Amino acid sequence: MVSDIKQVPESPVGKTGEGLAPQAPDPAGVQQVAPAQSVSPEHPDASPEQPDASPEQPAREARDLSWLLSRARIWTRRGLILVLRVSRLVAIGVRQIRPGLRFVWRSLLRRWRRSLEFRTVLTTLLLAVTSFAIVGAYLSNQIANNLFQERLAQAESESRFNVKQVQDTFDGAQVTDQSSVITLVYDTLTAVEGRGSVIQRRYVFEAAPEQTKPRNRWVESRASDQLTVRVIPPELRKAVQSGGKQQFWASTQFPVGNEDRPGIAVGNMVTFNGTAYELYLIYDLNTAQQTLDEIQNVLWAGGAALVLMIGAIAWYVTRNVVSPVSHAAVVSEKLAAGQLQERMVVKGEDEVARLGASFNHMAASLQEQITQLATLSQMQQRFVSDVSHELRTPLTTVRMAAEVLFDARDDFDPMNKRSAELLYHQVERFQSLLSDLLEISRFDAGAAVLDAEPQDIFQVISHVMEGAAPVAAEYGSEVRLNARQKSIIVEMDSRRIDRILRNLLLNALEHGEGKPVHISVAANHEAVAVSVRDHGIGMTQAEAARVFDRFWRADPARARTTGGSGLGLSIAAEDTKLHNGWLQAWGRKGAGSNFRLTLPLRQGGTIVKSPLQLEPADIGFPGAASEGQMLVLGQDSGDTPQPTPSAGVKPAPDDGGTGEEP
Amino acid sequence: MEVPWGRHAVRRAQRDKDLVIREYISMKARILVVDDDEALAEMIGIVLRNDGFEPVFCADGGQALEVFRSSKPDLVLLDLMLPGSDGIEVCRQIRGESDVPIVMLTAKSDTSDVVRGLESGADDYVPKPFKPAELVARVRARLRPGDQKAPETLRIADVTIDVAGHLVTRGGERISLTPLEFDLLVALARKPWQVFTRELLLEQVWGYRHAADTRLVNVHVQRLRSKIERDPEAPEVVLTVRGVGYKAGS
Repeated sequence: MVSDIKQVPESPVGKTGEGLAPQAPDPAGVQQVAPAQSVSPEHPDASPEQPDASPEQPAREARDLSWLLSRARIWTRRGLILVLRVSRLVAIGVRQIRPGLRFVWRSLLRRWRRSLEFRTVLTTLLLAVTSFAIVGAYLSNQIANNLFQERLAQAESESRFNVKQVQDTFDGAQVTDQSSVITLVYDTLTAVEGRGSVIQRRYVFEAAPEQTKPRNRWVESRASDQLTVRVIPPELRKAVQSGGKQQFWASTQFPVGNEDRPGIAVGNMVTFNGTAYELYLIYDLNTAQQTLDEIQNVLWAGGAALVLMIGAIAWYVTRNVVSPVSHAAVVSEKLAAGQLQERMVVKGEDEVARLGASFNHMAASLQEQITQLATLSQMQQRFVSDVSHELRTPLTTVRMAAEVLFDARDDFDPMNKRSAELLYHQVERFQSLLSDLLEISRFDAGAAVLDAEPQDIFQVISHVMEGAAPVAAEYGSEVRLNARQKSIIVEMDSRRIDRILRNLLLNALEHGEGKPVHISVAANHEAVAVSVRDHGIGMTQAEAARVFDRFWRADPARARTTGGSGLGLSIAAEDTKLHNGWLQAWGRKGAGSNFRLTLPLRQGGTIVKSPLQLEPADIGFPGAASEGQMLVLGQDSGDTPQPTPSAGVKPAPDDGGTGEEP
Repeated sequence: MEVPWGRHAVRRAQRDKDLVIREYISMKARILVVDDDEALAEMIGIVLRNDGFEPVFCADGGQALEVFRSSKPDLVLLDLMLPGSDGIEVCRQIRGESDVPIVMLTAKSDTSDVVRGLESGADDYVPKPFKPAELVARVRARLRPGDQKAPETLRIADVTIDVAGHLVTRGGERISLTPLEFDLLVALARKPWQVFTRELLLEQVWGYRHAADTRLVNVHVQRLRSKIERDPEAPEVVLTVRGVGYKAGS
């Protein structure tokens, strides 16, 4: 935009008067050939629409057009060459510094996205440049117009005076011989140039064409130094030739020394010795052009400075507004990271200060709440620990006493014997309930810690199976292990995994109705899964969703045969959660249930997919005996019978699984 | 996977051995019970007496060391939460002047407490609430005399073990170990080709038959290493077999 505008002063004035010519090109062109007002008394308000001017219009436009076209062609060619050269340079440059450019572009884009400050300053700068370019162009145009009009008015009035003088001199001349005629004409015309070293105006004196040439016409044409009639635009000549006594003007350019200068040509007709001559006085616009150039330079310099200042101001203002916001962002990040004592700096009473104050208020109440929660959690933890100790010591005594009595029950009478038995069993139950309660409140208090180390999960499983063997024998169920691998090392807290699996297995035996219980183990590269499948009474999908709830029982009326506390599966779920694993349940009425434990092989690892299906593919794992390794525990550990699926039971079509799978 | 039938045989042997031990213990082993809860202490006393032990009581941690010195017990039952002096401190004091077996009674089953107790020198622990049989089993296991005192010399790395003399030396320099640590080292050294799982060690060294806390093994291995290894961070005598357990160095 700037370069466009800058080109205006350089372009020749004659070229439709874009440089110094006023206003839009069209009316300008018309006005240029319009009769000068004061010289044409019959047209005091000469305007473009007047019939006098209209015949000249097409010719002038045609001239302008052809001239423009040739110039345009030259400039287009130059421009094209320039563009090609520049693009080749750019292409080479881009190839050389493309990675750098890409980096710069990316970082700019990132800044644009991430920095409000950067965005605001850049937008402000762009808007300022645009608006300044518009205003600058308008101002420059306006100033050029005024300068031109002023010079034009001066030129016209000077011309009128000079032409009148020339005409008077010619009219009053009493010379008849050739040499004195020539001398007279030359002297008169030289006088027009003005006195002094500076030429005030130049002239072109030319006999009008298409007239009968009188015998005594000795002067055909005459012009100032370096000038010929060709510097006069043909339109102007036509206007002058057909305009009679009127004065016309047009923009032109003429050579002075080695340069072309913009100028105004003012044309009149004078007669001498019966010959009509066209007399053109040419006024130099160079000084006006220089003035305009200077003004424009000042304008652009001022504009650039202004834009920079606006940018700086925008930066400063945005910084003032944004810095508290980014400060708030930093502080809130720190808060989120747990540095609860972080606060914003509050200065003054403005909106930013209010933001800071309310932010601090929020942070304070957050800190208070969190501290309160932490205190509560600590208190609960200590409470659990204290209760644990305070309750366990007397319970130990009671239990030992009960056992001593129980051991000696055969010496008692039947009533005391039964009492001793009841005491013994209920103390046992009380103790397991208490330990489960304490365990769960340890989870609630966040006091449970994972004590993980790499261990073979089969060790844990065989330990659990061994421990459950008496219970399995009691229920008459066989327990089968079904696995392809012989050893899977898992980073785990084996005490907790042992507890989970024991719980699942005892649960399966309890609800298995004496049918076989299958333990399947499989691993993929990220996780290991252990599923415990029974073929007993099963449960509905809704029940499966609730099995991990505390104190939940599928059938409240059901006898609490194994004396479970109702917290076993809840504790198992908490233990699993501590390992970042999944514990899920699937069930079907009459088809048994399946509990699947999935653990990451390494702590901190994530599970995407469990190696085992939650919903059993079919009931009874056919082929398990041939493909997997099998260990059978139970009343009949010697042989390994093929599992016998219950008749009429089909795999559940719907996934009744629930649990913590995200 | 290992089919643990072998363990039954081990148990049978153990049971037979226990009978022998019972006879041995019938010499009335003296047991110091350090517990501030009088009812529990009394109950423990009843149970111990019932099984042929001679209990001595101390209700205050501050006096525990004096009572220990005067009574010269064969084993100490120590409550971790004591008035006056912390059970852990008492444990450290006793361990400072004697290798007598110490079994902790603990109401806290938090890992950190148990580990702290074991690290301060206790050989074993019984979590409250415990069954009388459990307590007696733990006490017996700790009182069990060392295996046959046949003259036998074992070597792991640069450590020499004189089993009969209950002596561990490295380069002629004697290393002092508690009986439990000694048993642990001997168990590993007798079968240098075998990798011992923590459970197997619990069974062989501690005499556990059922579920037990493998942390016992971890803590004692650490303690043993700190005494016999040149650099406990890079063990040469007791090696860890990742995911399985421990074995003797070559």
